Amino acid sequence: MGMEEAWLIPAIPAGAFAVLLLFGRYLPRRGDWLAIAAIAASFALFFPVLVDLLGEVDRADFAGVASGIDWVKFSLPTGPDFQLRLGFFVDQLAIVMLAVVTFVTLMVMVYSTGYMKGDPRYGWYFAAMSLFAAAMLTLVLADNFLLLYAAWEGVGFCSYLLIGFWHERRSASEAAKKAFITTRIGDVGLLIGIFLLWREAGTFDISEIFEFAKAGGYSAEYLTMAVLFLFAGAVGKSAQFPLHVWLPDAMEGPTPVSALIHAATMVVAGVYLVARMMPLFLEADPVALNVVTALGLTTVMMSATMGLVATDIKRVIAYSTINSLGLMMVALGSGSVTAAMLYLFAHGFFKALLFLSAGSVIHATERQEVGDLGGLARRMPVTAAVFGLGALSMAGLVPLSGFWAKDEILNVAGDHQNFVVYGFMMLSVFITALYMMRVVILTFLGEPRDREAQEHAHDAEPVMTAPLLLLAALTVVAGFVAFDGVGEALGFPGGFGEFVFVEEAEAFHFPWDVAILSTVAAVAGLAAAFYFWSGAAEPARRAADTFRPAYETLRRKYFVDDIYQWTIDRVVLAAGAVIAWFDRNVVNDTGVDGSAGLGVFSGFGMKFLETGKLPNYALAIVTGVIVLAIVFMVVRV
Amino acid sequence: MIPIQHFLVLSSILFSLGIYGVLARRSAVLILMSIELMLQAVSINFIAFAVYLYPKEFSGLIFAIFVITIAAAEVGLALAIILRIFRNKATANVDEVDVLKW
Repeated sequence: MGMEEAWLIPAIPAGAFAVLLLFGRYLPRRGDWLAIAAIAASFALFFPVLVDLLGEVDRADFAGVASGIDWVKFSLPTGPDFQLRLGFFVDQLAIVMLAVVTFVTLMVMVYSTGYMKGDPRYGWYFAAMSLFAAAMLTLVLADNFLLLYAAWEGVGFCSYLLIGFWHERRSASEAAKKAFITTRIGDVGLLIGIFLLWREAGTFDISEIFEFAKAGGYSAEYLTMAVLFLFAGAVGKSAQFPLHVWLPDAMEGPTPVSALIHAATMVVAGVYLVARMMPLFLEADPVALNVVTALGLTTVMMSATMGLVATDIKRVIAYSTINSLGLMMVALGSGSVTAAMLYLFAHGFFKALLFLSAGSVIHATERQEVGDLGGLARRMPVTAAVFGLGALSMAGLVPLSGFWAKDEILNVAGDHQNFVVYGFMMLSVFITALYMMRVVILTFLGEPRDREAQEHAHDAEPVMTAPLLLLAALTVVAGFVAFDGVGEALGFPGGFGEFVFVEEAEAFHFPWDVAILSTVAAVAGLAAAFYFWSGAAEPARRAADTFRPAYETLRRKYFVDDIYQWTIDRVVLAAGAVIAWFDRNVVNDTGVDGSAGLGVFSGFGMKFLETGKLPNYALAIVTGVIVLAIVFMVVRV
Repeated sequence: MIPIQHFLVLSSILFSLGIYGVLARRSAVLILMSIELMLQAVSINFIAFAVYLYPKEFSGLIFAIFVITIAAAEVGLALAIILRIFRNKATANVDEVDVLKW
């Protein structure tokens, strides 16, 4: 059992989905145990694959192992060949993703047995989650673009299903639509990029395309264009500006869904895509990576500032996710797959932790608005502790995992980017600490604002708290894999940078100036949060009043949603109305009804020739003969 | 012998009179008689051509005999139909038989 059998990892949850779909209602407990067993099996299978990988990775020319079956293969008479291949590819990048996806999915599924208990569609929940796991794992392991795209769409579809899980709520079904349509816009770009790459290379296989690019098969402009189209898919899926609008609304789904899909796994698919495509980005014009950085940085700043004024606890965490995704994109834009993947690794754990502990709060108090919460630390100490831990990791406080990961990103940003980018990144550290501490203070500290909600608040049952504790433990230690010593002790060739890299391994180095600066910024943010929001939060209210226009802009999410809605109303629906007019009047009324009407009308006109009277018919015959005779005489046939 | 045109003109005149009769008569029996006239006009035409162009052959003459025979059979049939209509509708006026009108 090794990398060749990695296809089992997505296959088992896929099988579980099929069984749950068809027979779920007949199984005891609607089959939640089957879903959990399947993902546990995937997680278990991750280890032999890892061991096999570690055995091979020391070879100098190791570039991953592929396995699979060719489904369709034919040559078009003109143009490139076409293949449909169910192929799986394992390398260091994939193994990191596998670790995060399988483990977090397992944690979330176990947690869900408690959170979703009693829901009328409990069985369908686990079926959809299994499908999602299968699709996400396929995406990670895909060795060719078509399979990747199919899995990409698959996770998007599962996201739609799960955001709109409580579809009786209008807001939930609207949010699901919004998510799907917004990411679809990005997906169109992804498909165009895939076809651009295929057109010249004649293959969809990712490794072959890399070789083709390295050999200079693409012109620089062509490759840059293709790579930017691929990035468009990442912009949609990873909620970068301007396609970030779906993620805050996606919080309509159940909280475990948010933890899994919109924090740890699906949204990082865009990061994974760019990371995997980094060889292409490096071959292309530097402007491509600059675009990535620019959008990433914009996303970071916008989301951090919006998180500052959000009042729904899940929304704040959603904005923090968008923030994190932006950071990862800046890391990639700086050319470092190591930093981005290290952050992805740590982020998967602490973001899932944040969401799941928020879920415990929601489950206990039935409330989500911070205006209704407060002082929960007394009644839910464990939840408060782990949430605080996650928040501190997000803020980047040493020695938590978030610190090491964020520091790595700041390092590469400092090395490869200009002063402006670096400056904004430092500023984002401050703001992140600020809004994360804000939500901790408003939710867990101080006095309860809604006594009634807190009556029954208590730490959740073990099946929900155990995943929290496991994730909290990882939040603390996951960052240490960056160290060479830790890596080697675990059997890896070195630290994280020696395991996951593009072009050349990056040994761990620790510039003290970056670390100190970021720590100062983070601590300043935490302290400022206490100043503004502890107690009655008077300073915060005063600040909001003083800077009312800025406050309102942030509350209205920079008016992006409004602009999009206006565009949809005035442009898209207007164009649709024109086309609808054409379809109704020209195609239907004139074309279809018209030709039918013509037939009826002419028939009606001609029926009067049938008088039933013999002399009339005789006249017709005679007239006809005379006419024909004249015609023949004239034409001389 | 007189030129053939005399016979052809005669045949045409008879044919035209026959057509006029078919179109203008109200009585079914009279229409039948006009049809007979048309048939005989055609026979005259055939015999004229036969005698003037191919005097040694009989084709045209035999054709005339065919026409007479068929005309006789057809009249029998037609009168039977007219009798039937008369029994059903009490009229031999073709203008009044328009059951197949739209």
